[in-house]
Amino acid sequence: MNAPELPNSFERKETDLPNPLPRPEGEFEALKKAWEPPRGISFITAVNNTYVGLWYVGTAFLFFILAGILALIMRAQLAAPESDLVSHDLYNQLFTMHGTVMMFLFAVPAVEAASVYLLPNMQAARDLPFPRLSAYAFWAYFVGGLVFFGTIFFGLSPNGGWFMYPPLTSTKYSPAENADWWLLGIGFIEISAIAGAIEIIVGVMKTRAVGMSLDKLPVYSWAMLVFAVMIVIGFPAIILGTLLLEMERAFDWPFFIAERGGDPLLWQHLFWFFGHPEVYIIFLPATGMVSMIVPTMAQTPLVGYRLVVLALIATGFLSFGLWVHHMFATGLPKMSLGFFSAASTAVAVPSGIQVFAWIATIASGRMRLTTPSLFIIGFLFVFTLGGLTGVMVAMAPFDWQAHDSYFVVAHLHYVLIGGMVFPLFAAFYYWVPVASKRPLSERLGRWVFGLMFIGMNVTFLPMHITGLIGMPRRVYTYPVGMGWDSLNLVSTIGAFMLAAGVALFLVDLARNFRFAGENNAGNVWNASTLEWLPNGNYNTRSIPSVVGRDPLWDQPGLSQDVEDGRYYLPGTATGVREALVTSPFDARPQYILQVPGPGWQPVLAAVFTAAFFLLLTVKFIFTSVICGVLAVGCVIWWLWETDPGPTRPPADIGGGIVIPVYVTGSMNHSWWAMIVLMVVSGMIFTCLIFSYLFLWLVNPGVWPPQGVRIPGWIWPALSAILYCASAALVAVASRQLQGEDRRKPRSVPIMIGVALLLVGGSSAIDLWSQWQSALSPSAHAYGAAVYAIMSLQIFFVLTTLIMGAYTIARWLAGKLDSIRRTTFDNTMLFWYYTVGQGLVGLLVVHGFPRFTGGV
Amino acid sequence: MSGTRTLHVLVMLGGMIAWAVQFTIIYGVTSTLCGRGWADATLFGIGIVQAVIVATTVLAFVPTALVFMGLLRAYRSLEGEDASAATAFMMQAGILINGLSLIVILWQGAPALILPACA
Repeated sequence: MNAPELPNSFERKETDLPNPLPRPEGEFEALKKAWEPPRGISFITAVNNTYVGLWYVGTAFLFFILAGILALIMRAQLAAPESDLVSHDLYNQLFTMHGTVMMFLFAVPAVEAASVYLLPNMQAARDLPFPRLSAYAFWAYFVGGLVFFGTIFFGLSPNGGWFMYPPLTSTKYSPAENADWWLLGIGFIEISAIAGAIEIIVGVMKTRAVGMSLDKLPVYSWAMLVFAVMIVIGFPAIILGTLLLEMERAFDWPFFIAERGGDPLLWQHLFWFFGHPEVYIIFLPATGMVSMIVPTMAQTPLVGYRLVVLALIATGFLSFGLWVHHMFATGLPKMSLGFFSAASTAVAVPSGIQVFAWIATIASGRMRLTTPSLFIIGFLFVFTLGGLTGVMVAMAPFDWQAHDSYFVVAHLHYVLIGGMVFPLFAAFYYWVPVASKRPLSERLGRWVFGLMFIGMNVTFLPMHITGLIGMPRRVYTYPVGMGWDSLNLVSTIGAFMLAAGVALFLVDLARNFRFAGENNAGNVWNASTLEWLPNGNYNTRSIPSVVGRDPLWDQPGLSQDVEDGRYYLPGTATGVREALVTSPFDARPQYILQVPGPGWQPVLAAVFTAAFFLLLTVKFIFTSVICGVLAVGCVIWWLWETDPGPTRPPADIGGGIVIPVYVTGSMNHSWWAMIVLMVVSGMIFTCLIFSYLFLWLVNPGVWPPQGVRIPGWIWPALSAILYCASAALVAVASRQLQGEDRRKPRSVPIMIGVALLLVGGSSAIDLWSQWQSALSPSAHAYGAAVYAIMSLQIFFVLTTLIMGAYTIARWLAGKLDSIRRTTFDNTMLFWYYTVGQGLVGLLVVHGFPRFTGGV
Repeated sequence: MSGTRTLHVLVMLGGMIAWAVQFTIIYGVTSTLCGRGWADATLFGIGIVQAVIVATTVLAFVPTALVFMGLLRAYRSLEGEDASAATAFMMQAGILINGLSLIVILWQGAPALILPACA
């Protein structure tokens, strides 16, 4: 079903707004009722972005405080030489947890959380396209994060540093469960981050104000789009890395054990392929926030919008060419280091472009020195210093001197606190009036800034010197007479000053933050973007059309007209929650999306998912599996209520635009989500193939090792034929399911069932053939790599089996036909992906050793 | 997303995609040749590693330059036509991205002129 042809321009005269006044009686009440959050205990099942976003931000901030307390304990320990405030082992846990919690439980979730709250408001969308997915991501993170943090009270926290290098974290040197908590706990929280990224990509591309074409997209939306794409590309590497290390620890598959063909450097490649982009994953959303705040404070449009967008995109790309600059001291060839040095210096260019754009904007307007402005100025100062030391450590010879010293600690804190924490505090002070009935205090805010800015510099500026005169990072104490005493004491005083600033911010929050579902403090800064429109649980009463990048400045009266319901979709066409889906480039209305409302499913699914991973950590295998099954059950329960089909004829949203309430194919929002999910899956698989090739490279002459027999060609050929046959059957079923007459042919479930047998059989044959050849996954890295590829494929095949069975169940329940076929389309896309991955896997596992002839 | 729009995105990001391919090839080939001890081989009297890097850099640079010039020409001819704002914006962004990519691609290949292959 396609959307109708629409007019080219949405630019209208003031008198030519899409919907006339007065609005029909009961229209507004129906809208409010549809978006009302549940009451009582069910309140936690709310999925509105304003509620979930706020909980999410609050939880991320809680982790910021908890990880900050860990830092204070460390600083107290280091304030004097030979201190015994904390033990060696506890100190190891403290610095590991500080880094891990700050990076994984604060920084990434905080920027994702802020976008859950802000993006729909800024784009005048009613909500994100998958509100239950946001809720699932939040609850999984909330439960998993708190349990993970709780391990510090039981001496069970990971203690191998936040980047968990093997062999230190291998079973041999870390036999206890501390490392497993990191691998399983953080690995699964990354899945939550990816869920959020999928939501953000589809949200930015598909749910915008009418006419908000790409050239009018707020810079923050651009930043979040690049951020989410970077998560999709970068996070699979760490997910795979944690999987491999956990498989090594649990089943003795030697991916990183040098004696059996593994290589610890493989972990470093996988970790830093995620870890360096991670810095920009945190930084880019912060720059997006800065690009929104600076124009408001200067009361002038952002200078160099196109250049800023270029900078965001270029940073997104280039940041993936930097990872080895964390490995300069590992003995790689100098030429290889040169590539990464070149990219590391190149990435300073787009960052510099943004800094100059902000300075030019400040210079072209009249900057008001408010609290957000102060934090922005602090950000520019501190981040630029961090960037400069970044260019220094991008030079391999300098890096060899500063490596693993306090100079690096100083550099990374300048970058992260300057580049992310200060912009986040600017954002708190700037956007609180959207979420609260009162803005935060300007007077207290200046004190907060002063304490944080001075505290930050007092803490970390001396660390450059501490590092250059030789103090290594991660030592729990140091002897008298090394020349480090005074510098460390100054750093400790600075850390407590910084903490005092954060504590004062909490006081400000307690005094002034009053949550506003409706009747917020309003546009106190005279800002230009749509999040400052009057809003409620439904976001805006009607969905505006915009003609520029600063709609509240460009279109006087817009707020009132939106609130009066004079723009698009001022009520609810289907009687339930709805979002207006727009085209990705020009933001033309395409269809009305019926958005799922509150429900226990995402909450329970998240709790059981967290329980599955956490119980696995403590080896409660049976209970863990039960929780895993229950999690899958809850997801199926949740999905069962989606894909409603065309519940009514196309609806008039105003201005003569009539659009459907249901579409399928590439216009459908879930099609986009499935494509992004396939990219994520493809990246995990690509990283696995990279790992296979890397292990081949470090094992000359033994790939496969002597005595290992590769199964005959007949088995992979048979397996490939079955894969292709299953995909062909699904393609035929898709053809049968076409037509405008709501056909429901009986052959469809039969074909899906047969295809399921074929795809399952294919994977089983491959596994059986390797098993028959007596290949051991634990004898050598070759076997481990082969079984890892097969294991990943089996996981995808099992997922396909569940999706196929679910699709058959939808058909049997009368919820699937030639019009209402989104479920089938999604299953079909995933099926094709699984088959493609299976074929490539067969080619690599069976073809590569033959092709290289054991070289 | 229509096929034309997908093409627009690819053209807009073309230079950065070319850089990513260049980066992957030069790092992958250097690592493989050095790791396997094949770096002493020569091609037309030039060390194989340097030869691969120079060839890859040229292969990334030339198409990016062509796309850059094509976009410039197309953007100039766009004036006065009834193109959507989004299309014009993507062209401008494409010119900037491909222009920056030209510098980055050359910069990325520069180590081949300075450093020994596998030392």
